[in-house]
Amino acid sequence: MSAPVSAGAVWRRVLPVWLGLMALLALSCAAAYAPLGPWNVAVSFGIAATQALLVALLFMRLDSASALIRLTAACGLFWSAILFSLSLADVLSRLTRT
Amino acid sequence: MSTRVAESPASLADPDELALGLPESYLSAGSTLGSWLTTTDHKRIAILYALSVTLFFFIGGVAATMVRLELFTPQADLVGADTYNKLFTLHGVIMVWFFLIPSIPTTFGNFLLPLMIGARDLAFPKLNLASWYLNVLGGLTTTAAVLAGGIDTGWTFYVPYSTTFSNTAVTVGVMGVFISGFSTIATGVNFIATTHLLRAPGMTWFRLPLFVWAMYTTSIIFVLATPVLALTLILVAAERTLGLPIFDPARGGDPILYQHLFWFYSHPAVYIMLLPGMGIVSEVITCFARRRIFGYEFMVYALVAIAVIGFFTWGHHMFTSGMSPYAALIFSFLSFVVAVPSAIKVFNWTATLYRGQVGFESPMLYVLGYIGLFTVGGLTGLFLASIPIDVHVQDTYFVVAHFHYIMVGATVSAYFAGLHFWWPKFTGRMYPETWAKFAAVLMFFGFNLTFFPQFIAGYLGMPRRYHVYPPEFQVWNVLSSSGAAVLAAAYLMPLGYLTWSLFFGARAVNDPWNASGLEWRTTSPPPRDNFFGRPAVLGKPYNYHPEGAEPVHDQPRMPSQGSLT
Amino acid sequence: MSDPAIATEALLREPWDGLKLPEEQALSYQRTGATFGIWIFIASEVLFFGALFLFYTAVRAEHAEAFAAAARETNIVYGTVNTALLLTSGLTAAAASRASEHAALIRLTRWCLVATALLGLAFLVVKGLEYREDIAEHLVPGPGFKLPEASAQLFFGFYWLSTAIHGIHLMIGIGLVARLIVIGWRHPERIPGNPQVEVTLLYWGFVDMVWLFLYPALYLAGRSG
Repeated sequence: MSAPVSAGAVWRRVLPVWLGLMALLALSCAAAYAPLGPWNVAVSFGIAATQALLVALLFMRLDSASALIRLTAACGLFWSAILFSLSLADVLSRLTRT
Repeated sequence: MSTRVAESPASLADPDELALGLPESYLSAGSTLGSWLTTTDHKRIAILYALSVTLFFFIGGVAATMVRLELFTPQADLVGADTYNKLFTLHGVIMVWFFLIPSIPTTFGNFLLPLMIGARDLAFPKLNLASWYLNVLGGLTTTAAVLAGGIDTGWTFYVPYSTTFSNTAVTVGVMGVFISGFSTIATGVNFIATTHLLRAPGMTWFRLPLFVWAMYTTSIIFVLATPVLALTLILVAAERTLGLPIFDPARGGDPILYQHLFWFYSHPAVYIMLLPGMGIVSEVITCFARRRIFGYEFMVYALVAIAVIGFFTWGHHMFTSGMSPYAALIFSFLSFVVAVPSAIKVFNWTATLYRGQVGFESPMLYVLGYIGLFTVGGLTGLFLASIPIDVHVQDTYFVVAHFHYIMVGATVSAYFAGLHFWWPKFTGRMYPETWAKFAAVLMFFGFNLTFFPQFIAGYLGMPRRYHVYPPEFQVWNVLSSSGAAVLAAAYLMPLGYLTWSLFFGARAVNDPWNASGLEWRTTSPPPRDNFFGRPAVLGKPYNYHPEGAEPVHDQPRMPSQGSLT
Repeated sequence: MSDPAIATEALLREPWDGLKLPEEQALSYQRTGATFGIWIFIASEVLFFGALFLFYTAVRAEHAEAFAAAARETNIVYGTVNTALLLTSGLTAAAASRASEHAALIRLTRWCLVATALLGLAFLVVKGLEYREDIAEHLVPGPGFKLPEASAQLFFGFYWLSTAIHGIHLMIGIGLVARLIVIGWRHPERIPGNPQVEVTLLYWGFVDMVWLFLYPALYLAGRSG
């Protein structure tokens, strides 16, 4: 397993990720106040998804995990997508705006 | 970890063996109650589950008995409306979550999965024990709801009735189901990890017995569907106890959203209740037809397809709910699609029988009954998947009959088939075969007498969940309730003779059926660590005949060790 | 990678010890099993919270304006501070996870575990302060709710429920980390290479990820009005 062996090496791997995450947090907070209309939702959740991807890949080490583990993680996402898409297919087609 | 060595023949599987340093059976390894309640042996945990599952079966059965007694007459003479509502709710909740869902996976799955793949135990033995305790805690909690006056919402807990209007112990009841959900998720995690990581050398994925594949695909459903139910029940409990607006239409909530969330779990849940039985059928039918399974790879793909496609079909429970017709069309189409792999399995089982040397031992009788009853249940499911028919028969006894044909006709038959097939392995005893054959035939007739009239009553318009009905339906109800009495007798008989066999039954040899499968390559019952040494797998499963060969006329039964290939 | 300072025998559990493999390989296999197991559980939790977010999506789609009005009532300062705290706890958790593979980095591992737990506790303290403020501002659904629209209460129904559920998960995570801290204090040799460290910290990472989606759902809606 090619892992770092000194404390410095550990921090060198994780600190940049944290800086990126904090920068995205600041961006997300600021963008919420920008008048982007319907894009506000997309931007704020898009940034959240990006942050989650960074956490999953680099903090939770999916980038170096086995194919089986990555497939397992992907299954959770895929099945959530089934739940969302088919339910919203019904909900959104019955929408009456309030 | 050292295996305990038997010091006397009484603790061995076969008492005629000399105690020459052989491991003692798992049943003798520790005889105190504490050794059972703190065990991490998957076989003992399976027995614990078998006890709790049987208890819940009879509680659910008592509720069903009272329902059918009340329905003998069109008037309400046994119980009033509120009590009746509580009875069918109790029947549904207990039978679905505390009998059917755990039954085969936690008893047969726990016992047999490690044995069938050549492992010493499941991947996470302590988690396995925790699963059982969670299951029992959940069951006791839901039973507490019964003692607190019952629940009257139906097992589906539809909102806004369950959240806003019902005055019964809904919160306690859903919390019991919520707790048991963790039990099933933990079991699912255990089975998936075990199947991936603990197979014996040579046991490749496409050499696994179909029962193992059934456990694996069922576990995928456990892990991915149950959490949605957990969340849904929390939403119901939160709205009831904290008054939070979730599904309340007066505050903008959407009751149909509840139905989406509930059925996203509950439709795959019926496949949790179906797939394990299919696994058992494949094991038993091959053994008693003395044939390899026809189309092994397609049987595997069918299991996977049912498990996956089953997640896409939940809207067919909601055709009359006010759901969008476009979504309804999608769900209807996908419900037709999911029938295809099930049909493939029925065709392949039938083809397995072709030119086989079919024996009619009691496990086989249950399995043959399964195939017929499952076909009826599955076919009527297709009728229900067709929206125009569903609109006519929704919320009638037609639906009730359909799902009982699958849940009881198929799954419970498979449960009894497995119970008889593996009883020698679990207990080291043989049961009286004549009694078993009689019970199997009685169950088949009792079942059909109970549930076939319900198709007719439902199609003619008798609604479900009603304790009073127009007099023109009485004839069907009388037939059905009479059948229920026969069925009850057929369920009590195995309780009787199987218990008898524990004390007086003949001792079983390692492999009384001359079956293939690694579980038969060890003693009956197995030692604590399952095998003597580490097994290795050399060929495909179900090696009942050489590949591609027809059976030889009057072929003698195969020896229990070795094969012709 | 054979690190002689890893207490293999103390960490091996059944059935991994019965695979007739050399001890280090057996422990490595056990670790694979534990990691696989927790990821399966995380997949199930994705569906649990996915269902919660489906509820949010559906009701937000059905009541867009009322939601926007209600969402403006949340305190974005508390929310952003909490997100920063959790992200930092994710940093220390990730560091601890990597460091725990090497017995030489045991002090780093233990300090990072402590930091992770403390940051989690800090999150809960901030949340408590926020809850107190929300109650004072009549943001609890029911009679006397601050906003007039009935469906604005739906947003806060979701708010209280989702933050409570997340908080419970976080408390479980803090408990699991605290357990490791205690093990590290009593038997420091049992931390390096311990599969339970990886399992705990993966769970932590997941709890982190849930909050990353709760933050825009609860705090960023309706701000650009």
